[in-house]
Amino acid sequence: MAKKRKWWSGLLVLSLVGVLFTGCSTNNTATNSPNATAESSAPAASEAPAASEPAAGAPVDGGTLVMSSFSDIVNINPLMINDTSSGDIAEFVFSKLYNLDREGNVKAEPWSLAADVPEISADGLTYTVKLKDGIKWSDGQPVTADDVVFTVDMAKNPETGSPLTSQFDKVKTVEKVDDKTVKFTMKQVYAPFLYALVQAVVPAHVLKDVKPKEMQTNPYGTDPAKTVTNGPWKWTSWKQGDSHTLDADPNYWGEVKPHIAQLVYKIYADQNTEVQALLKGDTDQISAIPVTQVEAVSANKDIHIIQKPGAQYEYIMFNFDSKNFKDNYGLFAGQKTRQAIAHALNRQGMVDNILKGVGALMNAPFLPDTWADPGDAAVNYDYNAETAKKLLAEDGWVAGKDGILTKDGHRFSFELQYNAGNSRREQVAAVIQQNLKEVGIEVTPKAIDFAAWIDQNVTPGKFQALLLAWSLNTPDPDSESVFSSKYFPPAGQNSGWYKNEKLDQLWVDGYSTVDQAKRKEIYKEVGKEISTDLPYVFLYQYGQAIGTGPRVHWAEEDAPEPSLGYGQYFHAIKWWVTD
Amino acid sequence: MTEYLIRRVLQSVLVIFLITILTFLLIHAAPGGPTQMMLSPGLSPEVFKQQAHNLGLDQPVPVQYVRWISGLLQGDLGYTFKNHLPVADLLWPRIGNTFILMGAAWLLSLIIAIPWGIYNSTKVYGLSDQSASFISYLGFAMPTFWFGILLQQWFSLKLNWFPLSDMHTRGKEGDIGDLLMHLVLPVTVLSLGFLASYMKYARASMLEVLDQDYIRTARAKGVKERKVVFHHALRNALIPIITILGLDLPILVAGAALTESVFNWPGMGRWFVQMASEREYSVLMAITIVTAVMVVLGNLLADILYAIVDPRVKLGKQGGKAA
Repeated sequence: MAKKRKWWSGLLVLSLVGVLFTGCSTNNTATNSPNATAESSAPAASEAPAASEPAAGAPVDGGTLVMSSFSDIVNINPLMINDTSSGDIAEFVFSKLYNLDREGNVKAEPWSLAADVPEISADGLTYTVKLKDGIKWSDGQPVTADDVVFTVDMAKNPETGSPLTSQFDKVKTVEKVDDKTVKFTMKQVYAPFLYALVQAVVPAHVLKDVKPKEMQTNPYGTDPAKTVTNGPWKWTSWKQGDSHTLDADPNYWGEVKPHIAQLVYKIYADQNTEVQALLKGDTDQISAIPVTQVEAVSANKDIHIIQKPGAQYEYIMFNFDSKNFKDNYGLFAGQKTRQAIAHALNRQGMVDNILKGVGALMNAPFLPDTWADPGDAAVNYDYNAETAKKLLAEDGWVAGKDGILTKDGHRFSFELQYNAGNSRREQVAAVIQQNLKEVGIEVTPKAIDFAAWIDQNVTPGKFQALLLAWSLNTPDPDSESVFSSKYFPPAGQNSGWYKNEKLDQLWVDGYSTVDQAKRKEIYKEVGKEISTDLPYVFLYQYGQAIGTGPRVHWAEEDAPEPSLGYGQYFHAIKWWVTD
Repeated sequence: MTEYLIRRVLQSVLVIFLITILTFLLIHAAPGGPTQMMLSPGLSPEVFKQQAHNLGLDQPVPVQYVRWISGLLQGDLGYTFKNHLPVADLLWPRIGNTFILMGAAWLLSLIIAIPWGIYNSTKVYGLSDQSASFISYLGFAMPTFWFGILLQQWFSLKLNWFPLSDMHTRGKEGDIGDLLMHLVLPVTVLSLGFLASYMKYARASMLEVLDQDYIRTARAKGVKERKVVFHHALRNALIPIITILGLDLPILVAGAALTESVFNWPGMGRWFVQMASEREYSVLMAITIVTAVMVVLGNLLADILYAIVDPRVKLGKQGGKAA
């Protein structure tokens, strides 16, 4: 299955607390390639000091770094991780086969389990991974090919219910060649697979007797004493709903050892209390300062803020299933109608005023400045109400008595759904309502509790239009599972019932070759087609502000990288703290 | 009295039982279950179904209820769905933490409110009474979380007198002094609310009693004012206050979700909010049970105290036959 994406895992947590305290959660497990996103988001200026700022003196060993979140973990077993906080802890206590560099390339770093980049056969069907010598679990046992094979087999087994299934379901077989070598044979050429290898493994010697069905309830991943790990830090204690303690593992195998002796991961009730704690110095780093508070926080000279657009983008999704409309009359059937809506929206205004400049316009589902960004090949819809009106008229819409457009006796009036408690989305919805009113379209924004919304509207594809975001889990541009007609609800994520045969084929072409130059051409074509046909109005890529207190230091090349998933901890192994 | 108490207890058990059924149904009727809360909706429905199946969440609600209630009857509060942790182990420390916070606020406000209210009833519309009124209005009107944030801004961030949040400083878990420092701000917030209502009750109740014939008689007989107030009036005036205190008992355990959230106090109120948003059925049910039991106990206690304080109240057989 194609690229796995997430809907705002953090928002789940906020759905209730968020009603009381405004704030939008942008915590997520996003990954994305590029380093250039900062340039694309013009005016971040004063709030974004040089990323290298915290470097002060030579690294020192020891000390405690306090990080925080507003939601606790669920399970840090790499087979079961599916929420931001669990992923946060796993970042420190598990080593992965491969890691991403700042540009989003798959690399064998000194802290990766693999010795070198995978060997890919000429036909693109086999991947051979060689492990490093001397890599060990925290209980002293070696990390071997058996662990990798066990992990992948377990992930593939549907009975496990692992969120990793879709990452590995195109693997035909995974075999141990020798203790240090694993060979993956694919069912078909599947280019995004490389990113699936940026993955932690579980210890076969600990879990080999656990039935797949029982993996989720096994204490491995929820009991620190039973969770054998292989990363630079080990998980020492967990006070549920309060904090986690991670201590540097004295037996860590890596050549590069962590400077920081202890990591504390504190759980706060919401983002606002987290920000207060950062100002007070109770926490040293928070991964997302709410947009509304960035200015206030940056007034404190001790707090270092890194703010760039990240691996997430917001969009309006149209529903093409006419059953969702009055008299089964789909309002978004006309391509010109959709294009008119894109022209009617002041997207740049949203970026400037609501995102305070930390965002970049998008015209296709590929993040700006990544290798798959189609650039000018995609149609850019400028803010132009006149063009919008013209296109609407060409599509047969005429103004009714009340000023609202009508066609075949149907008023152009629809409901725009979004989730309650997300202040950014509330503001954007209001702008959309206003912008479209100006061209004769009536929009009724409707905020719904997140869980109810996903359950009753998004997953089954029952809505007229919605305002939502994708958080990209891998830097690969493949988005078949979102836009292909193979993935209609309830089995897939094409919740808007969009069908375009040309695109359906292009997505398959895109992942069926590992030749990057060829893929680039294909995604350029995708960008052109999708931005013309517009199943979504792509709004903007947006970002979150990482705030760090004065005790934390890093060299320039090890600074947090917001465009990567868990990029707030990028190269944390090399950071140090002072008191 | 004993028979009455037994009957009350039995009734209460029935009430609690009905509450469990009702809550279970209500929680399950809400859209989005625990698996949904822990899964990205972007995952394939197969993974979702399999996880729900592995957790037994695909069973019919009555089956889930029976499984839960039979566990409860054996003293087992079940496990959290998300991470399979025993609910009981998570619950008790939180009740304890809440009890520390709420108990301190409750005691403090009681110590201040009752004497102050009584004093004010003897000097109606005096300066003290006016200031008390002002504080009462403030206490009723001020949103607690906002007041909490204000206190944090001033006394923690600006003046640095008190810790911002949490229950302990890291590494000072057993330090009573440290705990007391952490208590100051949240207790201030919570006391204001309690104080306002208790003071009003004490004052009103005292005024009512002071207006009664027997007090006038006492005064007419030349009994000293001090004796009138403390000997004749106080005892009767305390009755309604005691009822209120009894009814407030559940609050001491259930906690104040907002205050606990603002001050990051690891108590039950904050936990309930977290767990409600995550649809953790077993936790919500456990908290509901504990709170229901406390409400029942509070009522019983109020009745008993009532009888002790006021000899006129006799808790004998109720009129007629028990139906």
